[in-house]
Amino acid sequence: MTAIAPPRASAPATPPGAPRRTLARPSGRVLTAAALLLGLGVAAIWSIVDLEVGLNQLERGLANAGRFLQRTVPFEWPSLGDVLWLSAMTLAIVVLGTLLATVISIPVAYLSAANTSPGGLVTRLLGRLIGIVSRATPDAFLALAFAMIIAQGALPGILALGLHSVGMISKLTADAIEQIDEGPRLALRAAGATKAQEFWGGIWPQILPSVIATVLHRADINLRATVVLGFVGVAGLGLELSLGLKSLNYREGIPYAIIMFALCIVFEIIATSVRSTLLGVRPSGRSLGGLLARRTVPAAPVAVDPLKQPWTPERRRLAGFSRSSIVVIIGALAVISTSLPNFSLFWQNIGIALNRMLPPQIDEAKWGSVAEDFLITIQVGLAATLVGVILSAVFGVFAARNVAPNPTVRGIFRLLLVVNRGIPELLLAFFLIILTGLGATAGVVALAIGGIGLLGKLVADSLEEVDPGPERALRATGATRAQIFFAATLPQAAPAIVGHVLYLLDTNVRASSLLGVIGGAGIGFTILQASRINHQEMLALLIIMVFVVLAIEALSSLIRSLVK
Amino acid sequence: MSASPVIRLDDVSKRFGATQALEEVSLEIEAGSVVVLLGLSGSGKSTLLRHLDGLEVPTSGSVEVLGQSVPELRGRALRALRGRVGFIFQQFELVGSITVLENVLTGALARLRGPRLGLPSYPKALREQAFAHLEEVGLAAQAFQRADTLSGGQQQRVAIARALMQDPEILLADEPVASLDPESSDQVMNLIREIGLRRGLTVVCSLHQVDLALAWADRIVGLRHGRVVLDTPAEGLSKEQVMEIYGRVATSTAEIAALQDELLETVAAIAAEENAAR
Ligand SMILES: Nc1ncnc2c1ncn2[C@@H]1O[C@H](COP(=O)(O)OP(=O)(O)O)[C@@H](O)[C@H]1O
Ligand SMILES: [Mg+2]
Repeated sequence: MTAIAPPRASAPATPPGAPRRTLARPSGRVLTAAALLLGLGVAAIWSIVDLEVGLNQLERGLANAGRFLQRTVPFEWPSLGDVLWLSAMTLAIVVLGTLLATVISIPVAYLSAANTSPGGLVTRLLGRLIGIVSRATPDAFLALAFAMIIAQGALPGILALGLHSVGMISKLTADAIEQIDEGPRLALRAAGATKAQEFWGGIWPQILPSVIATVLHRADINLRATVVLGFVGVAGLGLELSLGLKSLNYREGIPYAIIMFALCIVFEIIATSVRSTLLGVRPSGRSLGGLLARRTVPAAPVAVDPLKQPWTPERRRLAGFSRSSIVVIIGALAVISTSLPNFSLFWQNIGIALNRMLPPQIDEAKWGSVAEDFLITIQVGLAATLVGVILSAVFGVFAARNVAPNPTVRGIFRLLLVVNRGIPELLLAFFLIILTGLGATAGVVALAIGGIGLLGKLVADSLEEVDPGPERALRATGATRAQIFFAATLPQAAPAIVGHVLYLLDTNVRASSLLGVIGGAGIGFTILQASRINHQEMLALLIIMVFVVLAIEALSSLIRSLVK
Repeated sequence: MSASPVIRLDDVSKRFGATQALEEVSLEIEAGSVVVLLGLSGSGKSTLLRHLDGLEVPTSGSVEVLGQSVPELRGRALRALRGRVGFIFQQFELVGSITVLENVLTGALARLRGPRLGLPSYPKALREQAFAHLEEVGLAAQAFQRADTLSGGQQQRVAIARALMQDPEILLADEPVASLDPESSDQVMNLIREIGLRRGLTVVCSLHQVDLALAWADRIVGLRHGRVVLDTPAEGLSKEQVMEIYGRVATSTAEIAALQDELLETVAAIAAEENAAR
């Protein structure tokens, strides 16, 4: 033995003989997070009990299914021309609404990102605040308010989707900006570029893949949202569906639901193929934005003619995508232009509408019932999340490559998740409401099932993303599969999974406020009523709704920061 | 030292697609011996070690460990064998988000029934034992820290404690110090050897540095392109014999030249140290 130093002598942690502490003293952070999560879990269980969610209601629904089918079959299909026109109208609303949101989101994201915000913390908070408020205002209620100002039709839908989507798109874009490589940007700054040049030359090319993925994902969500928008009068398939259903004319109404479902699946397929050809299929990442798009490393182009950028496959794909986007946008504008309202009375109408809404107030006699409505809305959100988490855990585990017992099982569960993603949850809720009648069970079950597609996929991705090294090391010690899962896989994936669960809670509380619009329980119904009778009350309810959603978001972002 | 081999490979070959990772490897290792597998990157060291723990199945040939034919073991029997063999990885492979102590405890999973999550889910007696192992590797003070807050050298010592938790009869180590700085390397290598001797373990460690292997092992087995090209006791070698070792495990004349320079430096350094010591 030559040049090897002796090991450092170890100081015993406790004097010999003294009882040794072999359990960690939990840190305040962990305790707080655990207490908050436990509190949410208890609240969710209480909600399930209090709402009397039970299978007997679903059983009754199944008994009703026969009668429902009798009144539904045979379908009375609309003409092909109508189907195409209404689908075009719905898609046009989605395209233009998402486009509007994207255009607004870029400056908002610029304000919100820590590394670009021009005025430090103040403008940063302003940017984040715009995003949060936009996210907290449900699109159906925005559409309701716009319809009062500019008459019903397609435009309120576009504006509602446009404003509400800013929240998500600006947040994910700001996250992408914060994750860029600062090098190219600093190089431009060193060369004397203006702030705008710095953004479009040094930042935009880096975040473009993430932005495209986010926008596609949002368009997908917005397409589903048009079902509910139809219930508040926005033109398209959703409107025809809601007219058929409200008049109990299922033979004419249900075909629109089937068309909507088909459209959602087709859109999902198109979005997926655009994502994979444009961005390369690499699902996973730290944030949701990263989940939607891994940053692609463009291949260095081989310069042939120094003045002409060569047509690499990369550039060809991007150019193809740009051109088809422009064609789609022009098409959407053409479709919408056929149904634009008369703007000559716009300002006058705004005056009238504001006059009717201000000041926001609620009749004191209704405070009790309003409070109860909000409680039910939150309870449905909590209950749906708990049930959704349990179902998603099963789906997520079997859909994860490193946990599923074999590739076939994984394939089956991944497929089920994709099919599930294709079902708009509020459409599902609607059927359940028809079948089981009023009551919270329909909403809880619909949102819970609707959540599996998203949460199950996110859980599976988080499990697959863990470092496989420790799993291998425990396999080498002779541990069983179950032991490896709990000792190595789950602890690594847990923070990400908690984040995804809280994201689902946010989503569910917002969706639960919309259940009332399609005939379920909760605050949505009251808001819809108020929009017909008392606009001051409607505005007040909307403002409270925004604060409720904000409070839940604040709670979940607190928990998220504690478990990180 | 008993003469019965605890590890016996007979004519083992392993192919990965077009790659011949091991070719007709025959090897016997006696209980309690400290053996280094020496070879350049890609020579098949990791593949050989993985065969000993049943993490890889040979394309042909037989692998016998602790009297059992490893490729034939399945399920419970395979896990039981793995429980008797500790494995230390180049990248430590700790679960970063849980405490050091819990990481050590995961070494006892093969002895326990059912999955465990969190320190309280392990019996108190095992927790005491894990603590003792942490003391043995000098990290008792860090027991309740998250594992990813430790330095590389410390993490590898935790991984050693985890292997000790298995109460193994054989300790396998795959380039345990390749990701460490020289000072931590010395500590870790010394610890492995010391623990191996104290407990009478059979230790098989892969390395790619000839000087380290010469200083550390009882016996050196050289691999090159998946073949055993050298099998010699490590002590009492002449300078010519050492040069021959370099020649055998290296693949090209350029590499031999580079290694020769390195050896001259090492010899000079050792001489300087000895001078200083006088
Ligand atoms: N799982 C595997 N799949 C394909 N090839 C492998 C695999 N494991 C090892 N190899 C190949 O086998 C050869 C030996 O690898 P390895 O045992 O890792 O060598 P060493 O540990 O000495 O660097 C290398 O050529 C390597 O690329
Ligand atoms: Mg190796």
